[in-house]
Amino acid sequence: MIMDTQLASLLTAGALIVIGIFGTLFLDNLIKKVISLAFIGDGANLFLIAMGYKVGGIVYIFLPGMSMSNFSQNASYPLPFALVLTSIVIGASTMAVMLGIIILLNKKYGSLSASKILGE
Amino acid sequence: MNYLIPLMVVIPITCALFLNLLHERTRTVKAISIIVALALPTVPLIANYGVQYFGGYPPLAQNPTIAVGLPTLITGTALNIFHPAITYVFGSAQKLMIVILGFIALFAIYISLYEVKKASGVYAYLMLMGTASIIAMLLSDDIFNLYVFFEIAALAQVGIVLVSKVDYNYETALKYMILGSIASPLLLIGIALLLGVTGNVNITDIVYSIQHGLVNPQSPVLLMACSLIIFGWLYGTGLPPFHTIKSAMYSKALPTGAALLQAFSVFSFVAIGIIILRIFSYLPFAHIFIIGISLVAMTLGITMAITQTDFKRLIAYLAVGELGYIGIGLGLGTALGITAGLFQAVNEAVITAFLFIGFGTIMYKTKETDMRKLGGMLVETPKSALLVLLAGLAMAGVPPFNAFQSKLMLVQASLNSGLPEIAIIMVLLSIVTFMTFMRAFHTIYLRPKPADLEIKNEKIPNITLVAMVAFLVVCLVFGLFPQIATNFLQGMAMSIA
Repeated sequence: MIMDTQLASLLTAGALIVIGIFGTLFLDNLIKKVISLAFIGDGANLFLIAMGYKVGGIVYIFLPGMSMSNFSQNASYPLPFALVLTSIVIGASTMAVMLGIIILLNKKYGSLSASKILGE
Repeated sequence: MNYLIPLMVVIPITCALFLNLLHERTRTVKAISIIVALALPTVPLIANYGVQYFGGYPPLAQNPTIAVGLPTLITGTALNIFHPAITYVFGSAQKLMIVILGFIALFAIYISLYEVKKASGVYAYLMLMGTASIIAMLLSDDIFNLYVFFEIAALAQVGIVLVSKVDYNYETALKYMILGSIASPLLLIGIALLLGVTGNVNITDIVYSIQHGLVNPQSPVLLMACSLIIFGWLYGTGLPPFHTIKSAMYSKALPTGAALLQAFSVFSFVAIGIIILRIFSYLPFAHIFIIGISLVAMTLGITMAITQTDFKRLIAYLAVGELGYIGIGLGLGTALGITAGLFQAVNEAVITAFLFIGFGTIMYKTKETDMRKLGGMLVETPKSALLVLLAGLAMAGVPPFNAFQSKLMLVQASLNSGLPEIAIIMVLLSIVTFMTFMRAFHTIYLRPKPADLEIKNEKIPNITLVAMVAFLVVCLVFGLFPQIATNFLQGMAMSIA
């Protein structure tokens, strides 16, 4: 049986978040921690995209000759796709700042170990 | 269309971006920063109340020209009244809170510009960016827009700590970001769940959908969304279990930065708290949880303040404890309780900024923040010592200052709601706050100066004293005439209760 696309997306998002939380909590290397945090953010973004999925839906662009009634009933929901773009930008900015701080801390401590730098 | 409403956010953000580019040009940075800082409280003061629809798209019901020709599937349903664009609502409560936030930002920016020879464009950029984000959070009626500004505010807060040059500021900022990178996606999932269930991110539309049975209010998905949004709220505002990292953030910032950071926390607490109440007030769990976590925050914050030896950390924990008072007011859910909570938020933002800047004057004379190594500062800074004493009395809720009025209202609201236990806890914790502050004041100002304490011959800038006097005036005015503030806040409180 082929799994429903939305369900598959939600399960993948859940898996990404669980892997990300595990990595953030249990990995000591700060770069690996940041990669794990990116997994959590990507999971949340995939979750948001999955909210806009519509079975049998059409692309939400109103083309000439298209019936208004058909479009309004069958177009997939565009809002989550617009929102997720903003969320990706925020995630990238946050990650850039985190990596910048890690570079400075690596120069100071000569290590990337969270237990050494952050005392965890 | 009231163009001053979006300008409250657009002006500081645009100028902040320019300031970042003008990093080495001290005079230009000062000139732009002063003008924008003045605009922060002035624009909301002169703006009329109203609603701003971005892109010029009001609901279809208010825009018949666009609605012509659309199928009844849209015009004949709730879609007709839903908001298609991001909406900002500017009411009397928003006006008071934005003016107070702008007032604190004005002095924080002025002091930061005049206490150094070379003004930092980057620091001014971060302070303006953070202030603009919190203003947007207070105005926004769109939960995703609020999330975006919540994230920008978090980044600005990290930046304010990074530029402070205080020991271990990078480590603290990274810890805060790691925790934030877990909490923020969870908040986003909460918003995505709300979107999935209601099809909306506009808060008024979400409330409409729940109240009019368009969605099942008891849906477990909505309960999950509530939990996740509350989790994001705890992180953003520094409530337990995030109180230690939040207080560490305050202590690693410069006094002006810390004054602004706590104001960000207070007003983001209010902005998200109001949304939680508007959407989930039908769930008894939401009220119980808000009251419970607020009691924990009050108790933990104030008791942990007792054990601190660093004065910045001490004020930081007291600030966390004071957040609990606001939460109690919101959690009670009555019009009086919410009014008292909002009033306490306004008061706390002013008093804590007053304390951070007041105690910060010690750093002009000595770089020491460890109270065990301080003493005899009354002789060195007599004027600021008197002002700090008054600020501490205000925080503890001593009359005739503003926090006395808001805490009295909170006690009355608790008694009216049949919860005298909460009133007793609030009074007891106010006494502990007073004792904690007086111990710190005695240690720093009154006991003899330690022999090894070096005092620098540096003058406290006049602008710092002017800022403290201005905060004192606000505390006294709201303390003697509380109706000035409560009249602004009652409308919002009654609409939520």
